[in-house]
Amino acid sequence: MSEEIKETGKEDASGNETRRNFLKDMGTAALAGAAALMTDSDDAEAKSTWAEWFQKNWRLMTDEEKKDAIARLETRYSEEYGKKVTVDGSPAMKSVLFGYALNIQKCIGCRRCVYACVKENNQSRHDTEIQWIRVIRMEKQNFLPDDMNKGYPPSAKEPFGIQVGGNAHKPAGVTLEGQHYYQPELVPEKDAFYFPIQCMQCEKPPCVKVCPVRTTYRDPDGIVVIDYNWCIGCRMCMAACPYWARRFNWGDPNLPKEEMNPNTHYLGNRPRMRGVVEKCTFCIQRSRKGRYTACVEVCPVGARKFGNLFDPNSEVRQILERKKVFRLKAELNTYPKFFYFID
Amino acid sequence: MKRGRFSKIVFIILLLGGAISAGIVYSQQGEQIPAPPEPAKEEKPAEEAKAQTPQIVTDCFESRLPQEDGKSYTKVTRVENTVQQYGWPNVKCSQTTGGVLWWGDPFDGTAPMGDMPVLANDDYSKGDYAKEEAVVKPRQSQLMYFNLDPNKNCALCHDGKIVPFPKDKKPRKLAAHQDVVADSMQLMHGRAAFWCLDCHNHTSRKTNALIDHWGNEISFNQPQKLCGKCHGEVYIDWRLGIHGKRIGSWVSGGKKRWWVCTECHNPHTVQVNRFQPIKPETAPVLPKGMKNANHEQSQHDDGHDTTPKGAAGH
Repeated sequence: MSEEIKETGKEDASGNETRRNFLKDMGTAALAGAAALMTDSDDAEAKSTWAEWFQKNWRLMTDEEKKDAIARLETRYSEEYGKKVTVDGSPAMKSVLFGYALNIQKCIGCRRCVYACVKENNQSRHDTEIQWIRVIRMEKQNFLPDDMNKGYPPSAKEPFGIQVGGNAHKPAGVTLEGQHYYQPELVPEKDAFYFPIQCMQCEKPPCVKVCPVRTTYRDPDGIVVIDYNWCIGCRMCMAACPYWARRFNWGDPNLPKEEMNPNTHYLGNRPRMRGVVEKCTFCIQRSRKGRYTACVEVCPVGARKFGNLFDPNSEVRQILERKKVFRLKAELNTYPKFFYFID
Repeated sequence: MKRGRFSKIVFIILLLGGAISAGIVYSQQGEQIPAPPEPAKEEKPAEEAKAQTPQIVTDCFESRLPQEDGKSYTKVTRVENTVQQYGWPNVKCSQTTGGVLWWGDPFDGTAPMGDMPVLANDDYSKGDYAKEEAVVKPRQSQLMYFNLDPNKNCALCHDGKIVPFPKDKKPRKLAAHQDVVADSMQLMHGRAAFWCLDCHNHTSRKTNALIDHWGNEISFNQPQKLCGKCHGEVYIDWRLGIHGKRIGSWVSGGKKRWWVCTECHNPHTVQVNRFQPIKPETAPVLPKGMKNANHEQSQHDDGHDTTPKGAAGH
């Protein structure tokens, strides 16, 4: 298309024509080029790409447009991965608000949830390995009375006094002292506990606030979703998220055909492209069909719980009523729907 | 002169226009369509992936580790194409640890739990909660001697004549079947206050059932009815879904597979060997340029840590 225009342009420029005439010609040429891409091409793929390029934000699309977009994607993915891929576009269920609870006392740090998530959600497997769940290992023993009275080491010029819960010998509490890359022989280890983090599906998500193109938004069932096609890859949301929950596709994701999960959702685990942000969606392709998320199902100790916060009989509601519950970084007023609890 | 400048400007505009439209086409291709020269590129990652995943692991465990003889309550075998809609296997197993990593079919190999255990505060009139569709993985099909004879089961030998029934519940040393009850020699429950026949029926070997303190038979598929007699608090939590594990549908009243007590806890050795530690899955790949993760260690050498090594346990 570009060469076509260039050539036409050269001709026009060399010819003795007025500016108006020239512009008119150029416009026609450009239109012709666009039209060629849109209609003249017999290649179905080119056509669908063209349609996709002018696709609207998922939230603004009519049902018809959504159907077209899904059909396009299903065809392409099925071809690309050599199996029948379904792309679900179902909206939020009515009177459902998803909540998640994690028993931090029980978690043994085996990381099975991490890999269950990868298998379910079609993340890039290697060369930018992408994982939505991180398990942080925390060491106990930071509140020993001996350390609490030590104060700063002698090298410090001024005595600063004693910090609450720790000092310069040992950090205060366990803040920011998690170990992400731990690899012991066996888990759980003595004197350690494990703290899995993932997207908290906040009620007031900072990531949604900063998105300049409004491609990430909160659905009525509480899941914060991303329309990958509309994402410009600016990574503002990653900077805004206080929970380290979002990942960026620096390259084309490496997803082997045989490992691709053909049950996908438009806003969830459909294969991503280079240059878009992704994150946990509470397995939207499962949970909107009534099934537990992959991480809940795989947890060998049953530390992970998932359910509808509007249903008083649901597991999560029972936990909120009966157990000691806290939310991560509650002081930021993000109102996560991911609760940690202890027995 | 005038025309010359004009044509120059036009030419620049055209170049720009061309570049932009080329950019559009390029980015379209780059983002969505696999670019033409990619086949050569694609082969490499595929090879790498193959090298990383040499073969599919078909035998794995759910929660409890396999015993030394390879027997395990929670053993699963991968079966291809169980969920035909998506071509899923029933489970996907970990290459590194042999644990179940992903459930395709949550109800694989399950049977109805039977009458649902109800809580005291359950309202039968509401119905829904008591009738919840609950399935479990049946235990009896995995008992070796039990399945020797389809009709008599254990009573093939234990009919009271060939092998006489014990007269009382007093503890004695087990003479046989140490292969069945591998943990029988280190039995420890209730600080050794319990012995086999407190939980196992001493006469009814045909059903090989558990027995509660009133002498009521309890199926091996529902051990919670027995455990809950003493461990009431945990039982309530389990019944509500707070303790233990369920997979399937998150909807209240939906079909769920419940993990029963003995699928995670070994009642025989619960006080000696509470849980077997398991191997963790591999750590995430370090970011580019990071050589090791020593910076994470609270004991790392940053010049101001004076705590003696080993103080933080192992």
